[in-house]
Amino acid sequence: MSWVMWSPLAVSGLFWATAGPVGRRLPPSTAVRVLTVAMVITALATGFVLGVAALLVVGQAPPVAAVGEWSAAALAAGAPVPLAAGCLASAAVGVLGVATVRRAARTGRELRVAARACRSLGPAIAGLVVVDDDTPEAYALPGITGRVVVSTAMLRALPAAERRVLLAHEAAHLRHRHHLYVQIAELAAAADPLLRPAARAVRRGVERWADEVAAEQVGDRHLTARALAHAALARAAAGRTAPGPVLALPGVEGDLVERTRALLAAPARRRPLLAAAIAGLILLTGTAATVTARSTEDRFETAQIAYADPS
Amino acid sequence: MPTIGRRKGALEQEVLAALAAAGRPLTAAEVLADLGDGLAYTTVMTTLSRLYAKGGLTREHSGRAYAYSLRGDAASVGASVTAHRMRRLLEAGDDRAGVLARFVADLPPEDEQLLADLLAAASRPQEQADR
Repeated sequence: MSWVMWSPLAVSGLFWATAGPVGRRLPPSTAVRVLTVAMVITALATGFVLGVAALLVVGQAPPVAAVGEWSAAALAAGAPVPLAAGCLASAAVGVLGVATVRRAARTGRELRVAARACRSLGPAIAGLVVVDDDTPEAYALPGITGRVVVSTAMLRALPAAERRVLLAHEAAHLRHRHHLYVQIAELAAAADPLLRPAARAVRRGVERWADEVAAEQVGDRHLTARALAHAALARAAAGRTAPGPVLALPGVEGDLVERTRALLAAPARRRPLLAAAIAGLILLTGTAATVTARSTEDRFETAQIAYADPS
Repeated sequence: MPTIGRRKGALEQEVLAALAAAGRPLTAAEVLADLGDGLAYTTVMTTLSRLYAKGGLTREHSGRAYAYSLRGDAASVGASVTAHRMRRLLEAGDDRAGVLARFVADLPPEDEQLLADLLAAASRPQEQADR
């Protein structure tokens, strides 16, 4: 049972090592979808097996065994979980549980703020809000209908064809509900920190996805790349003249060089084998969790029988 | 009628963006000249009329045509405040996992030259294809 039980952790570790490259290899829309599903299932399975490991060790404590009416000795028989591993798992379950709840609360808070902002922006014509501002800025604000907010400085910095790229990019974020993928991935990464690189890959992936949608709509990858570069350079130029310190964050969505390069190259090929391999891993973790559930149930049942009839 | 290659509402956004970028009233012909891209004059005209009907634009006579500009009324002041609040949220710094999706984030200084080079490459598609 042991290796089956720990396999979700092994899969988490595999994602830690490979999520970045995998996210870059697959076409962005596939990468985001596949990684998000894989992350949710892996996080759930990992949380579950850690919980089981904790339970198997905590259940051996005499007071707990007495309350549960099972035999501590029978539960410990064959040492399914080493004591140290069980204690570590207990601590991890506690810490990660708190982190997950806090992350969920934060997501809820941010979505509420965004929805409120959408409402206070009023009935924007065609879903576009133009803000009179000297800093080049553009973003999508998710909500029931969502808004695209663009500053006049950004619009002035780009010729019409590149403005079209920008608008298509932001509309793609809203239409494909990219914020949900990002938030779900963040939640999974809070529950299972080994999935942190995968969450970054999802965040990067939604930007690439929107870039690809925009490129397809304007029918010109080079034009799309130029729009990105012009917008970024306009922002950088405004940042130099702006009063006060401007923090240059190498944000994940700020992998502009990478995004531009990807647009200048040919679109990513579909890779059915890679996608199938990830699907296989997801299946493995799901199965491992199910098998663990079944065998743990059996173990507790045996321990309860041993408690009732200690012969 | 949406132009081929554009989704519903996309052209309306582009027309609004063109007017905002110009910063002065534009006639349908001027909008068409800015957008280019094989659009028909009647398509631009229809879009402008529709945006005007929705209350997004104001218009004035300019010779025999109308010149349109974005409506900058009280509603957009509220929008401006909200947008500034959003920007502060964006610039809070640690929040890389927020719900807002920015087109471009701040550029690390070392990436600026790299990006400028890529831009130069992107502006010479022919040359690249020849190589």
